[in-house]
Amino acid sequence: MKLAAYYLERLKGNKTAIIGLAFIIFLVLTALIGPFFTVSPTQVNFSEKNLPPIGFSSEQSEYSAKVGGLVMTNMHGTWKHPLGTDGMGRDLLSQLISGARVSLLVGLLATGLAIVIGAIIGVSSAYFGGIADSILMRFTDIMITFPFLLLLILIVYMFGSSLALIILSIGLTGWTGTARLVRSETLSLRTRDFVIASKALGASDLRIIFYHLLPNTISSIIVLATLSIPGAILAEAALSFIGLGDPQVASWGNILNAGQNDLQAAWWIAVEPGIMLFFTVISFNFLGEGLRDAFDPKGDYN
Amino acid sequence: MDRSYLAKRLLHALIIAWGVMTASFFLMRIGPHSPADKYLATLGAGHNVSQVTAAIESRYGVDRPLYEQYFNYINSLLHGDWGWSFSTSMPVSDLIKIHWAYSFQLIFLSSILAIILGISLGIFTAARKNTKADHIATFFSFAGISIPNFWLGMMLILIFSVKLGWFKTYYDTGLPMFSLSNLYALILPVITLATGMVAGYGRFVRSSMLENMNKDFVRTARAKGLPESVVLRKHVFRNALLPVVTIIMLDMSGIIFGGAYITEFIFGIPGLGWMSLKAVFSDDYSVVMAVTLIGAFVTLFFNLVADIAYTYLDPRIRYE
Repeated sequence: MKLAAYYLERLKGNKTAIIGLAFIIFLVLTALIGPFFTVSPTQVNFSEKNLPPIGFSSEQSEYSAKVGGLVMTNMHGTWKHPLGTDGMGRDLLSQLISGARVSLLVGLLATGLAIVIGAIIGVSSAYFGGIADSILMRFTDIMITFPFLLLLILIVYMFGSSLALIILSIGLTGWTGTARLVRSETLSLRTRDFVIASKALGASDLRIIFYHLLPNTISSIIVLATLSIPGAILAEAALSFIGLGDPQVASWGNILNAGQNDLQAAWWIAVEPGIMLFFTVISFNFLGEGLRDAFDPKGDYN
Repeated sequence: MDRSYLAKRLLHALIIAWGVMTASFFLMRIGPHSPADKYLATLGAGHNVSQVTAAIESRYGVDRPLYEQYFNYINSLLHGDWGWSFSTSMPVSDLIKIHWAYSFQLIFLSSILAIILGISLGIFTAARKNTKADHIATFFSFAGISIPNFWLGMMLILIFSVKLGWFKTYYDTGLPMFSLSNLYALILPVITLATGMVAGYGRFVRSSMLENMNKDFVRTARAKGLPESVVLRKHVFRNALLPVVTIIMLDMSGIIFGGAYITEFIFGIPGLGWMSLKAVFSDDYSVVMAVTLIGAFVTLFFNLVADIAYTYLDPRIRYE
């Protein structure tokens, strides 16, 4: 725990990392308690469609029975829908909060799965060596050769696009980086004295792997995990954006997909989820780089 | 260069190519899509379903033993037969011939732009390490890496096409490929695809340069009184270039394929990604698989080139 406090102290000196961390905490809190304060994200209300956010106004064409045709009316943002509404009158603020839940869920679960698979494959590959190493690494090479997004599209096309399946596929395809990193770190650890001593004392393979090898790679894994979360979030958003996401949930990618056709009439539908995605991704990148510097023992000299 | 290294590297690539084809075969077999389903869905009543299914399955060879299907599949792939596209009624290989050039021009222009700008940005920031200019450039690199390219593309369309009207909101396929108007139409797509690459390469070149700055040979070069610009150009940059070449080659897969796919979707450029996505929605299995395989083979090729280039540029590196 002392060590954790030491690293935290070093992280505090990094302004951008702290800003990133603050935004992530804000996002998590919003995703957790936000839904209690907002209207349902799926509530359709055609009389309030394409409302601009507060402080903006926009010209909308609307059918008027008196004129017997379309008339242009000037709409203003209302406090009822602070960030405006989409083409079906659904509240964008609550959709964005729902999107935050989806993105965080995808980022954490998919990355967690990828890290676990990658760590197991990497550490076994390096520890057992020989034929096991060759087979596992060739398997990793084959996985790396498939472009990530293309493979995801193929899987989602074949097996359907529920959110659970998307999370699973991102996790099952995204472990290659971790496997290579853990393998190279384990290779150098394997011949160190404390591992050899432990082996000489009769420790089992599992004990050596879980007590000596993996704990010593944990700082690299934490950094890699933090920097992988944006990739997972963006992968889900990209899938939803091209129309292959889970149609049942309001994710940022789904909102962007809907907003693409409404750029002319309602620019805010496409702008708002993108800003959230951008801030989320850059926050994780800032935090990840900050953690890397904090863990790097050479960091003091630079 | 070492002959045996080259041979080993090629063998390695062949093994992976075989693995990629095998993986795609099994993905296809475990997938829920049977060629008969599509025909049955379009058939009206009054047909003998089991007869039709049997006929189609024998036409596609799905009724043969698994190992025979496997060899047939690999064999036809190697002979350039990538299957039949149901939705367009032509061989997938012909479909690829129609669409590949649109992807190529987008990827080629974006890569050239990204390499030039990225390397310049990296050198510029490394030479001014920890100055205000470096901090600002670093911040923008982070922004460039983090901005989702599909959102960037939409914002460019919103600002420059919808609000300002400088460009069309879609890519005009009627333009001749080698013309200025085509180049003009590609400005927004190229910015969309290249932004992340410029930022990524810039950061990578910077850290690669900084790693070399403290090396002994650089100190020696400075000590013998060479001007700083010569030190940077001839001693630091030459050595920093090596990992940069590799990363750019490796990058050809992930960012470019994923990025180009999405960029084609946003701007309606009829390249391979656009073709593949259209195939997803019209349930045209062989096209989706073909594009995925092409992505894998191109990645494999660039990885091989990167490896060979690396050993060629740095004779110290040997296999294993």
